[in-house]
Amino acid sequence: MISFELNGLQVQVEEGSTLLEAAKFFGFPIPTLCHMDGLEPYGACRLCVVEIGEGSKAKLVTSCTYRAEEGLKVRTSSERVVKARKMIIELLLASTPQSKVIQDLAAEHHVMQQRFRQEHEDCILCGLCVRMCKEQMVAGAIGFRGRGENRSIGTPFDMKSEQCRLCGGCMYVCPVCTLRCTFNDPDRAVCGGCANLAAPCVEEEKFHDLMCYMSPCVACEIVEYEKEKQTKIEG
Amino acid sequence: MHRLSSVEEFLSFQKQITDSPRTTKPTLVVSAGTCGQASGASGIIRIIKRFLIEHNLQEQISLRITGCQGFCEMEPFILVEPGKHFYTKIEMKDVPRVIEATLSGKVVEDLLYRESEHHTSHINQDDIPFFKKQKRIILGKNDLIDPIRIFDYIKHGGYLALAKALMTGNPEWIIEEIQRSGLRGRGGAGFPTGKKWELARAAKNGKGQKYIICNADEGDPGAYMDRSLLEGNPHAVLEGLIIGGIAIGATKGYIYARGEYPLAIKHALIAIRQAREMGILGENLLNSDIDFDIEIVRGAGAFVCGEETALIASIEGKIGEPKQRPPFPVEKGLWGRPTCINNVETLSNVPVIISKGADQYSKVGVPGNSGTKIFSLVGKIKNTGLVEVPMGTTIREIIYDIGGGSVGNAPIKAVQTGGPSGGCIPAEKFDLAIDYDTLAEAGSIMGSGGMIVMDENSCMVDIAKYYMNFLKDESCGKCYTCRKGTQRMFEILEDISQGKGTLEQLDLLEELAHVVADTTMCGLGQNASNPVLSTLRYFREEYIEHVIDKHCRAGVCKDLVGAPCQAACPIGTEAWRYVAHIAEGEYEKAYLAIRETNPFPSICSRVCDHKCEERCRLGQTGTDPVAIRALKRFVTDNVDPAIYKPERTGEKKSDKVAIIGAGPAGLTAAHNLSLKGYPVTVFETDSKPGGMMFSCIPAYRLPREVLEKEIDSILDENITMQFNTVLGKDITIDKLFKDGYKSVFVGIGAQKERRLKLEGEESEGVYPSIEFLKAYNVNGEQLAKGRVGVIGGGNSALDAARTALRQDEVESVNLLYRRTREEMPAFDEEIEAAFEEKIVVETLVTPVRIITENGRVRGIECIRNKLGNLDNSGRRRPVPIPGSEFIVPVDTLIVAISEQPDTDSISPEGEPELSLTEWGTLEVDKNTSSCSRPGVFAGGDVVTGPNTVIDAIAAGRKAAVMIDRYLRGEELWQQGQAYLPKVYVEPYSSDSADSEVSQRVEPEQVTREQRLGSFKEVEMTLSEKSAKCEAIRCLRCDLEFTQPKTEKTEKVIVRTPEVVEQ
Repeated sequence: MISFELNGLQVQVEEGSTLLEAAKFFGFPIPTLCHMDGLEPYGACRLCVVEIGEGSKAKLVTSCTYRAEEGLKVRTSSERVVKARKMIIELLLASTPQSKVIQDLAAEHHVMQQRFRQEHEDCILCGLCVRMCKEQMVAGAIGFRGRGENRSIGTPFDMKSEQCRLCGGCMYVCPVCTLRCTFNDPDRAVCGGCANLAAPCVEEEKFHDLMCYMSPCVACEIVEYEKEKQTKIEG
Repeated sequence: MHRLSSVEEFLSFQKQITDSPRTTKPTLVVSAGTCGQASGASGIIRIIKRFLIEHNLQEQISLRITGCQGFCEMEPFILVEPGKHFYTKIEMKDVPRVIEATLSGKVVEDLLYRESEHHTSHINQDDIPFFKKQKRIILGKNDLIDPIRIFDYIKHGGYLALAKALMTGNPEWIIEEIQRSGLRGRGGAGFPTGKKWELARAAKNGKGQKYIICNADEGDPGAYMDRSLLEGNPHAVLEGLIIGGIAIGATKGYIYARGEYPLAIKHALIAIRQAREMGILGENLLNSDIDFDIEIVRGAGAFVCGEETALIASIEGKIGEPKQRPPFPVEKGLWGRPTCINNVETLSNVPVIISKGADQYSKVGVPGNSGTKIFSLVGKIKNTGLVEVPMGTTIREIIYDIGGGSVGNAPIKAVQTGGPSGGCIPAEKFDLAIDYDTLAEAGSIMGSGGMIVMDENSCMVDIAKYYMNFLKDESCGKCYTCRKGTQRMFEILEDISQGKGTLEQLDLLEELAHVVADTTMCGLGQNASNPVLSTLRYFREEYIEHVIDKHCRAGVCKDLVGAPCQAACPIGTEAWRYVAHIAEGEYEKAYLAIRETNPFPSICSRVCDHKCEERCRLGQTGTDPVAIRALKRFVTDNVDPAIYKPERTGEKKSDKVAIIGAGPAGLTAAHNLSLKGYPVTVFETDSKPGGMMFSCIPAYRLPREVLEKEIDSILDENITMQFNTVLGKDITIDKLFKDGYKSVFVGIGAQKERRLKLEGEESEGVYPSIEFLKAYNVNGEQLAKGRVGVIGGGNSALDAARTALRQDEVESVNLLYRRTREEMPAFDEEIEAAFEEKIVVETLVTPVRIITENGRVRGIECIRNKLGNLDNSGRRRPVPIPGSEFIVPVDTLIVAISEQPDTDSISPEGEPELSLTEWGTLEVDKNTSSCSRPGVFAGGDVVTGPNTVIDAIAAGRKAAVMIDRYLRGEELWQQGQAYLPKVYVEPYSSDSADSEVSQRVEPEQVTREQRLGSFKEVEMTLSEKSAKCEAIRCLRCDLEFTQPKTEKTEKVIVRTPEVVEQ
């Protein structure tokens, strides 16, 4: 067992536990977008940062990848952590405003505005889908490509992957594109909250780079559905 | 190659090589690293070889091809041993001369290195300041070794360290030695190498298999020391790697080299093969029971792969992205085994430490930072190249002593260290001693040692934007804050550089930068904010200027600058426009373009300090700038000013305005206010208008009729002139307001001479330069007699000296200046003219005593100076040499050291009516030109201290706008805006096929004989032909903004003068 200080509380966890697991266990909520039980921790979204160490040595680390160490002093919501977290949410909100998950996150953390130029992206590159595909579905059909601002997720050479079994796991775990992962029936949506939003793929000019690895793509069916709805209303 | 089977055999072999009789025949050394080859070293080598073979000289002279020797600026060069003659920038045609001179034991004087044309050449390489001030422990070997010959390396002590390590047979001893040496990782982070090796040795994970990796993935723009080491001395890296491998117990080493370094990879491959063949590398090396082999892995050019965990992922064949540490690579690295990663330069240091001993090594440098560090000095610096200096050397020494200072006229303003993740250090911090810790404190990092020097022509916002652009492409993209954060920072910086930024965005930028630094995983992200944070820390006012004033002082940000000549002009004259009109022969249009902004075009065409030419893009691309001032002179001399009809805006107004001082600032303000309909009264102390233009600028530079005509042309019925009226005596500001003036402009100039503060300054024959010039220019009095001494090096000193020379009773003129000729603040052409007129210029002298006789000056005692330490401006302070005093006999002494405003006049009753700065100038609001008393505005020299005519005109223009706003009751301060070229002028086109661009034309001058004793104007007007030729040289930076974008014309514009003048 490893004992360390969590928000001033002396706690003990099993060796190998991450700080995120420990905090969760002891009831300190830490937001995260790229973490999912059952998938290898990745540390991409940086939302789960916590402050460790003291004085000038204090630093922020991602709790999902950092393992508990003996005598460590961890603060899960210090001023520094909150400031960083809010900025990350603001960045998320500026790029992927249509995500219900991110909207809820913003509301929860009182992020009321975003000061950047508004973008409409459909991916935050959290890598959940990649890990889902590889670790749970043992397919490895999709992966990361490129670096920096050209980084994206997809199949090699954008061709339909022979490894893909159309399980839809990638869509299921996606925190950004929940609606388009629910076929064309809003009643069966994973989360109904966003049903009143326009589907990202409908506003195609904003979401030119659709990231649906399924074939056939369900996006067009949504478009069809939306059109149908439209004609019904007009009719 | 014979395989060596034991350490003893190696040692005897080594002894055999070193003891072999040294040849006495001279050697030509050619540096042919990638940089050398790019400058043409391969061609030089080919010619040398051919010459030697053709003339059968192989027995008399030898040739050695080495890697980069560091002085890249001078490549291609030939170093001739044993005399160490350093022939720089060699061309193929020079080769025979060098070889012939070498054979006969002579030197080729004109090809030897010299610092500038004013300096003499250095015969020995060691005397060259660039090399003299360095300590080339690591790089020095590059001069001696042909990188593809292992014997060369062994001959110069190579692999002795390995032999020593093997004979000791104790890896702990190696680690202890490295630890004691205090060597820190040269890759940038500065982690103690010995500590790292100790951890790697102690690591138990991985069933005994361990790895050592040499990180040669050097991706920083502007840094290439690792490449040069691997290219120039690959065996040293191998030796370091083998010793490291033995120390930590690894059996396999990797060199992870950038794919873009083909020569480095080639040399490393050859070195590995040679070492294997000799039994120094591979299984059971030198029969020591140790197996160690090295493999080269080529990186694909991702910057992030320089980060150790990403590098490991890349070797494993995975996508190069960092992993969370801990676990550190020393515990769990390549293929999950303990792995030690060291930089090329670190490993090159290892053999030196082992063979010389840790104690000897740690004597170099400062405690905690021992040894030397190689920096690649690039950017706006004279001596580009690799420099190796002991840790703790100051930035100033590197930049000025070794680097030779700024390459152009613009002073150096900052240095960027550590590559894209580093920061900018401003010139005032150049006394910082460089080591890992002080650089981090200053907001930068050591990085791999890139040092990019920036001068006043570099915009700090643009620099930050450049690096952010690099980082947003090179971030691996895993961490959201690094990927998105760098993109967003770039976006904001781009907005700012385009003039679309706001102060809120500036705050957001800073906030975001801190979060990015805080929340990312690897060194790339954590340091990605450095370019932004360090420039914000030291150059915030530049950011503010971009945001508020929409002004880029360096003239870089295109959307704020437009045409650089126009942006550089204080009054925004569209220089490109009149130059374009001249090229077309439309001289009247050209005149109108000048006159629109400038009420004194003829005056400015003679005395302006032409800031436009300094910023001219033609001048920054290797040729001379367009002679804009001479072209202006051509136009103003050839066009009748009457064609310009001033545009009067608004009806006649009743609010009276008082202008104090009829200098350029006051007259411009009066003129512009008059055009707006205000009745203006100008009060002037002297009996004529013009201020300093009249009283101080001599007639041979500015003929009186030109001056008078120009001033007359702007006076109209709205302007009343009141001469012989002295502020403080006849009028006071308070009285003016009582008399019904609604606003007052103070433009009284700076007419009080600073004193030498020496005894005897009051005696007869000693005059302040202003008094002397005024006496002649206003009253025609000739004060100078006999031998004249002038103290100072500015324009007024030169004016006084040249005026004195033209007076009847003058025998000779001596000019005394305390610094060197290059540092004289006067215009270059003035200094040239003074030399031509045979004025004796004594530099590096300071007056210490005035010798008087019967109350009249008889001589001046001076002391000679030498150049001391560098000051903040990068100039060397003059330091007096004791005992070097000497006497210059003079009958007249003119003191022209500096002027300041005569502020006694604004405080008639002791208490100043307006508040002053600590320098005795008027205090005004920078943005609105308003003084402490409402309704009073000021501009010109009284605010800035002695300054140029064009700046005074600009101040007058601005004051007129502000006074108008004030009288209308409007908000004075309004957000600035960028003035971009708007008018499209068809570019000059010619059918002539000859596309050769002609040289800059210089206006002719009257001969020396004609000048003496006469005040005839010295500079002449350009002829029409040469004016046209000159105008055609213009690059037309404006077209980017004005060219109609409708049709895509494929028309090729050939810029050719129709007639080239002889």
